[in-house]
Amino acid sequence: MKKTWMAVIGLVALAVGVSAVQGQQALSGEYKIGVLEPLTGNLAVRGKGHLEGYEIMRDLINEKFGGVMGKKLVFAVGDGPDPTAATSEATRLATREGVKIITGTFSSTLCGAASEAASRQNVIYWETSCVDPRFTRRGLKNVFRTEIDGTGFGWYNIEFIAKHLSHRLGKKPNELRIAYLSEDSSYGQSVTESARQRAKQEFGMQEVAAPEYYTFTTNDLTPIILKLKNANPDILHHIARDQDAILFWRQAREQNFQVKAVVHAGATGYGNPGFGKAFGNDANGPFALLEPGPGLILEKLRPEGQRIERAFRDAVKAKTGSDITGDHQLAGGGLWVLKLVLDAAKTDELEKFRSAVMSLDLPVGSAVNGWGVKFDETGQNSNARVQHYMLQWQNGQLVTVWPEEFTTHRAKWIPLGAWDQRK
Amino acid sequence: MGLTLIFGVMRVVNFAHGEFLMLGMYVAFWAFALLHFDPYVTLIVSLPLFFALGWVSYRLIMRPVVHASHNVQVFTTVGLSIALQNIALVLWTADARFVRTSYYAVVVRVADAAFNVAQFVAFGVAVACTAALFAFMRWSYTGKVMRATAQDRQASALMGIDTDRVYALTWTIGIACVGVAGVLLAPVYPVYPTAGLQFVLIAYVAVVLGGLGDMAGALLASLIVAAVEVAGSYVIGTAWKEVLYLLLFIAILMVRPAGLFGQRGAEALGT
Repeated sequence: MKKTWMAVIGLVALAVGVSAVQGQQALSGEYKIGVLEPLTGNLAVRGKGHLEGYEIMRDLINEKFGGVMGKKLVFAVGDGPDPTAATSEATRLATREGVKIITGTFSSTLCGAASEAASRQNVIYWETSCVDPRFTRRGLKNVFRTEIDGTGFGWYNIEFIAKHLSHRLGKKPNELRIAYLSEDSSYGQSVTESARQRAKQEFGMQEVAAPEYYTFTTNDLTPIILKLKNANPDILHHIARDQDAILFWRQAREQNFQVKAVVHAGATGYGNPGFGKAFGNDANGPFALLEPGPGLILEKLRPEGQRIERAFRDAVKAKTGSDITGDHQLAGGGLWVLKLVLDAAKTDELEKFRSAVMSLDLPVGSAVNGWGVKFDETGQNSNARVQHYMLQWQNGQLVTVWPEEFTTHRAKWIPLGAWDQRK
Repeated sequence: MGLTLIFGVMRVVNFAHGEFLMLGMYVAFWAFALLHFDPYVTLIVSLPLFFALGWVSYRLIMRPVVHASHNVQVFTTVGLSIALQNIALVLWTADARFVRTSYYAVVVRVADAAFNVAQFVAFGVAVACTAALFAFMRWSYTGKVMRATAQDRQASALMGIDTDRVYALTWTIGIACVGVAGVLLAPVYPVYPTAGLQFVLIAYVAVVLGGLGDMAGALLASLIVAAVEVAGSYVIGTAWKEVLYLLLFIAILMVRPAGLFGQRGAEALGT
């Protein structure tokens, strides 16, 4: 009997050891890539969030998923707070650090300049966050983007408005009156213009006025709010960058601007955790198109997607003590796809790497954030594969509310009630 | 007020003025977040605090360059501005923070216009500070000494005025004023390391438009700039608001180089 027990214990130990080895394959050497983010200046809070996401995913890849190409993944980090600095840092990472791949850069104001510099050094530029549609339309063969582009954001927002909000508001899509407001960078403009185009052409939605664009560092949005009050739209499509969302929300309340719904896209503005910190429960109501947040039913993803998604969320929780954020998701999701490509290509030589990128074909639900992967010739991951979700501020937290089949939460306050009744 | 005082008396273009405003906003935020001090209680504490900060920053940074060329002064204050921004970034991160008082959503309605209570208070305190500083500069002995130094530093020195002390006092009062302004603005605007930048350009426009060193002029000019900005945003479009007030600024300076309320020729004094 004792021998039997010893044999059982031995087999269990062997099984544990084998699975541990499978998870932590012996890594031979290091493979270095450049990570370029705005770590100082106006965009630093987002850049640091992205860097944290990259680091957590890097550690996860090294510890549990065999590194990249059998090597330990390491970073050379660059700080690019503005286009000039991003250009210099991309050049430094390529020439001084000797990296063959640079990833980054959060902002649409940075990715264009940084990728041009990378292209001049014949270095692969792996963008995980910026959404400027022009990024992949310049004919550069070294440029790839895992995240949806601005036109995809606009497409999803109108999908949500037409398929979910309109019937909750008791109107047909072509009866909805929309106002468009946006900060004036390429990010805001591309999302807004693509949303306008789809809303008008496919659903016949009505625009109450010409779109308003403003600089996100503005210190007064009252004139715009007064114009919006006069226009009296059903829905406000507002693309905000950061503190402008806080300013708008506060001044809209002061001016008692009532609208039935506010819809945003991206991890900025209303999609930024800072918005909830600023207002607490007074933030209740606005929607933000993002990667999936609390409420996501993980079982709806494919098994391989569930595995990496769960591992990543757990790793973020263990490292930061809090729930995953959009910054983590974009950076981590993009880095995971890069790992899959490198493992398939087994090289960073551009032609073979590009061939591996084009060959990768994963259905929705296969990767981090529930994404799928299918790149087109421009280097853009298919918007249709980059599944996005609508989140809503509810009691100080952004929760996933749409598509409803993927979440346990439901959208509330449709239409938005009086300012003091959104509890 | 602080900017026009420093600009008018010392002829120093203080590019770090916005960063001292940002520090005032952070003082209000941390006092509120950590000690639960209402910003208007912090206001009382902040005055001596920024007086001390102004004196220390003058002694350590401005005094060695106060008689140097404009280029040196510009580089010094730009350097100070960048240093303060990055210190704030390292210490407090780039998160936009917000002083959410229990009365932050309380609005005062006058006819069809709505004003936040904090805006009302800030305006009232700004008017009171302007009046006090105007009276100080006009009627006090020290104020007269400061004006004399602004008009001709060398002649003032020959008359026995300690111009170094005048400059120290001017800088210190200027920084105290902007520190108070930061505390007053904290309940109205988000607080982050580059928060001061968005106020600096428009503040310079108001100061030059009003006439260098002219307190009442700066107040009136700021109201004119605000009216042009808001009306232009509403009628023509938000993208045009800066264009409109800068065009007005250029047009007025072409006709009156000393600004709307400045003495003719004052812009060339003390240079």
